[in-house]
Amino acid sequence: MKSRSRFDVVAHYGAALLLVGFVAFPLAWMAIASVTAAGQLFTSPPRLFPSEFTLDWYRSVWSASEAPRFFMNSLVIALATTVACVIIGILSAYATTRFEFPGKQLFLVGALASYVFPAILLFLPVYLILTGLGLTNTLVGIVVAHIVVSFPFAVWMLRSYLLAIPRELDEAAWVDGASYLRTLISVVLPVCLPGVFSTAIFIFVLSWNEFLFASVIAESSRNKTITVGIAEFITAFDVRWGEIMALGTIATVPVVILFISVQRYFLKGVLEGAVKG
Amino acid sequence: MVLPGVLVIVLFIAYPVFEALRLSLYEIDLLSGNERYAALNNYVAVFNDPKFPRVLFNTFVWSVGSLIGQFVLGFWAALLINRDLPGMRLVRSILLMPYVVPVITVALCARWMLDGTYGILSEGLQASGLLGHNQSPLASPTSAMVSVIIANVWRSFPFVMIAYWAAMQGIPKEQYEAARIDGASRWQELRFVTLPNLMAVTVTLIMLRLFWTVTYFDLIWLMTQGGPGGATEHWPIWVHQEAMGFFRFGYAAAIAVTLSATLMLSWMLYAGVTRIRRAQ
Repeated sequence: MKSRSRFDVVAHYGAALLLVGFVAFPLAWMAIASVTAAGQLFTSPPRLFPSEFTLDWYRSVWSASEAPRFFMNSLVIALATTVACVIIGILSAYATTRFEFPGKQLFLVGALASYVFPAILLFLPVYLILTGLGLTNTLVGIVVAHIVVSFPFAVWMLRSYLLAIPRELDEAAWVDGASYLRTLISVVLPVCLPGVFSTAIFIFVLSWNEFLFASVIAESSRNKTITVGIAEFITAFDVRWGEIMALGTIATVPVVILFISVQRYFLKGVLEGAVKG
Repeated sequence: MVLPGVLVIVLFIAYPVFEALRLSLYEIDLLSGNERYAALNNYVAVFNDPKFPRVLFNTFVWSVGSLIGQFVLGFWAALLINRDLPGMRLVRSILLMPYVVPVITVALCARWMLDGTYGILSEGLQASGLLGHNQSPLASPTSAMVSVIIANVWRSFPFVMIAYWAAMQGIPKEQYEAARIDGASRWQELRFVTLPNLMAVTVTLIMLRLFWTVTYFDLIWLMTQGGPGGATEHWPIWVHQEAMGFFRFGYAAAIAVTLSATLMLSWMLYAGVTRIRRAQ
């Protein structure tokens, strides 16, 4: 084995540090701004190291804006989307990995096509369909739209986990007289729980972050998600940076924590070829 | 068992695609709710729209710039985290973060840092004389486009990184050992072992990223809304503008279908070319 030159290692860490800075700086800068006192936040030129800190921005968005409602809406929508997608997704994934049936290929191709299909093509007809069903400006409408966005992804990701489980396991259960559903629930699911779990987290994050559909469907502020709520804050006439930075931090922290907690499963899934950007 | 899944796909994906195609053939008057069959008029209008060349150009610059940026950065980052050095797992975790950060956060961080008066990046640019006093890069055409592209690269390079990293993890160690025995330098290892092993994933990655980048709406919308003066208005923004701004649903559908058809066509062309290449 060739010995590594010291310069090589130093250059490696230097490059890594550079990239980490590029990624972390905007987020750190937002978090810092969200706790910087007004007197030091609105200075030109900006201060790199503020010395006066405050939680006023958080207090203000929490008590004097509709942020708590947006937050709850996002939470409810993301949870409902996740549950629906995982249940329908796992049924579809199980059926398509275990059985042959007419139209199976068509179904898979359909799911794959919609996996890369532009949301920008779908949003208008989906919006019109939801209008027809009377679901615009409801949380249910947003959930339906988010299922559209995430479902194909759920099927593909869950399939990759189910494919890894040997069919013999199912067959043993069938021989013992278990129904297909019983087999799925008590034999297969326990084995692939980590996979299901990380898929669920991903759907949650996708829904939490989604903007286009939510912005079109939620008309009154009663039904806005946190992403849509912030977007309106930022395009409003006077731009209240302190509050916006606090809102941004509030919107970001949950998904980052969720993601870090399941990264292990995510990386495993990536190594098996299931990702979505 | 598969029935609920089929229902979702048919009802909310296949039917909307069909509906988009149908809408694109109609002229829709929202006030009276009248739909008038317009044959291909909407499509003719898309290509004759005075906006068309500019939108096409913006879409091209946005996509090519974003793709180059995310592949260069993603590949470089993958090489970094693939090396077995202490601390690289932490680096990997941090570099993955943009992958889950909400777009709205990316957009507002960018807008905060690029704010003409209080923005730290604007300040730097102003101090170095690249920008006028209290000017924001988002306020002039070229720098606005550069800004949205950089923000998009920030957001999307982790995907490329992690895909390349996964592929690098899959390269058999023996290949590197063999190269070392032959006295290959690091550069030669990269050129003759790593790169050839990444060809397959690159072909897929470019296509996926191209699709997602061209059709990506949220970031530009939240950063510039297509401005200033349409300088960052790309194809999806145009669709949104016509649909939600002017309520010309038929026309918007025609623009969206044209975009999708163009992508499908380029995909088939690309798949065809790579297949021929491989056959040779």
